[in-house]
Amino acid sequence: MRSPDVIAVRRTPLRPLLAKELRGILGGRALWTMLLIMCPIVGFSFFQALSLYGEASASASDQAALASGLSPLDGVLVPTFGAFYVTVTLLFPFVAIRALGREKETGTLRLLVQLPYRTPTLIAAKAAAVAGTWLIALIPAASALVLWLMLGGHLHTIETLNLLLGHLLYGLLIGAVALFAAAIAESAATAAIVTLAVTIGSWMLDFALAGQPGLAEWVSRLSLTQTLRPFEQGLFSLGLVLGSLAAIMGFASLATLWLHPGVPLRAKLVRSLGCAAITSALVLLAAQVRTAIDVTEDRRNSFPAADQRALAALREPLVITVHLAPEDPRYVDLRRNVLSKLERVMPNVTIRLVASQNFIGRSGDDSYGEVEYAYAGRIDKSRSTSHREILPLLCGLARVPIPTPVAGEDYPGYPLAANAALVLPWFFGALPLLIVLAWWWNRRAPRIPLPICQGGES
Amino acid sequence: MSVPAAMADLVAERAPPLLRVAGLTKRYDEQHALAAVSFDVHAGEVLGLIGPNGAGKTTLLEALAGLIPVEAGELMWCGAPTPSTERRDMMFYLPDGLRPWDDDVVVRVLTFFATVHRRSQREVAETIGSVGLAPVLRKRVSALSKGYARRLMLALALLTPQPLLLMDEPFDGFDLRQTRDVMGLIRRVAASGRTLVLAIHQLGDAERVCDRFVLLADGAVRGAGTLDELRTQTRLTSASLEDVFLALT
Repeated sequence: MRSPDVIAVRRTPLRPLLAKELRGILGGRALWTMLLIMCPIVGFSFFQALSLYGEASASASDQAALASGLSPLDGVLVPTFGAFYVTVTLLFPFVAIRALGREKETGTLRLLVQLPYRTPTLIAAKAAAVAGTWLIALIPAASALVLWLMLGGHLHTIETLNLLLGHLLYGLLIGAVALFAAAIAESAATAAIVTLAVTIGSWMLDFALAGQPGLAEWVSRLSLTQTLRPFEQGLFSLGLVLGSLAAIMGFASLATLWLHPGVPLRAKLVRSLGCAAITSALVLLAAQVRTAIDVTEDRRNSFPAADQRALAALREPLVITVHLAPEDPRYVDLRRNVLSKLERVMPNVTIRLVASQNFIGRSGDDSYGEVEYAYAGRIDKSRSTSHREILPLLCGLARVPIPTPVAGEDYPGYPLAANAALVLPWFFGALPLLIVLAWWWNRRAPRIPLPICQGGES
Repeated sequence: MSVPAAMADLVAERAPPLLRVAGLTKRYDEQHALAAVSFDVHAGEVLGLIGPNGAGKTTLLEALAGLIPVEAGELMWCGAPTPSTERRDMMFYLPDGLRPWDDDVVVRVLTFFATVHRRSQREVAETIGSVGLAPVLRKRVSALSKGYARRLMLALALLTPQPLLLMDEPFDGFDLRQTRDVMGLIRRVAASGRTLVLAIHQLGDAERVCDRFVLLADGAVRGAGTLDELRTQTRLTSASLEDVFLALT
């Protein structure tokens, strides 16, 4: 038997909750402080990038070959957003933690969990507020893009959006980790330590272990920073996007499991193990998705267009046996220049790495350095790491003519020697001033609706 | 007494209480915060959980609201077992000494609660008027005095629709006159059909506002009933609640 008076919990409007969550973040100092710190950091990076790009452009002004090497993605966007990445890594956790940590610290969580919302809804609202906060944090970097366009710079829409997507996923990942840390920790300070341990720890992983062989290389891939790499290289990697989303959902789910103070610790631990197992499985599954699209305007992650078309038509399995150690710079070159591109363009490519030991100890092995290509029962070998030698070899194995380059498909490059005089005053003066004004505007007392005002006075 | 009235009384007597608490047990390490606590809450009454500081009143309220896990015990809502995940549908717990969303402005916190619970602006205005919050509506919660912070909490509780309100030390922070006003408000809330469980350590206040009492000491129930029933139990025919409490603990 149930009393008819029990409340209908399931049809509660979401808007007030979302507004409350956003207000909670906007009401604190953390977001505004982060924005003020971001202005000079992002601004100076943009200024430096602009200066270096301008210098390179000046020397390339009358040489088309040099000009074609000038891409705004590498020259301006990645360095500017690199500064954004640093501040998101170091400062964004403090803002994201506030979405939950403050309520835990003050005891308000005990009111929150009694509201007629499901716990996943509460965490989803907080995650939405964190995403909104990321958008606000984007303002300095976005203003750099606007300045770049105003100065006459060129932006390729898709590659720019792809870069932004990478940063969004990275920001959401940091936000989800921060929410989880806030859910398990009793105080915001502890949650900040936990989150920074993850973000800075993964940074260290990246520095210390990237490029190392074996287990170290695998561990280095767990670094959150790795999320950004392909996007900075102009690749839209479906597997990475799915893996990142799975990790974000995983951390958000863990935060949900740990939010309610009424759930026994043992139950939280058991459910967390299940959640971690499911998340890991999803991330591993996502890692199997090899689809990656080169979204750069200069097609740097692809072979020339004619070669791409010819290779895409080769339907037989291509088996490549590489006699190189993974840490050998030649393998790194081969991977970047040839193997990765082949994997993206050909439907059936298998790469076997034969030498797994340290390449220094392999100098006496005659076959070391050889790369064997097997296609349609025919085999050929090469020691080259350049696609200019490998592609004719593959055409020979496939018995197809070597494609002739198509004229007019070359990337022109976008040199620009811009006057950066306006950049520093904007980032060191005008933008911080606008942020302070917005902060002040946000802090002012709200207008009270007339019926409430009149009723309250009666 | 007419036959239908007698039948109605009989039905009321046999009807299960609004809330039955059975064997609620909570331990912190080796210490029993609640030792098999059992009592009933009847619809429309104001029940006082009475006990000194450390008696387990707050722990009991939080356990009832499902905000802390318990080792044993069961809650029956109108005779049906109620898991902790469903209790927010039936009861709302108002913690002691809380300043909710302290960076926000009072009117925003109130309208947030009102919107979530689908209250009209007229109802919000009435609530503000009933607790006397009008002078501080544009203030930040963090800037409120203790008394106004308490009024805000009271207003939030009044905006909730749950039939049972659990309030921890509802008179803390109020002066004598304000306490009397809040008592009047609580009686009006009970008269409107809601049930209230108040954790109170001031026995005088409890005696004035509560219909029945559950006396707690060291996490255990030492007595339960109306003041007259407790007097009978202790054979102190004209004793105050304080005398009864001292006799039972």
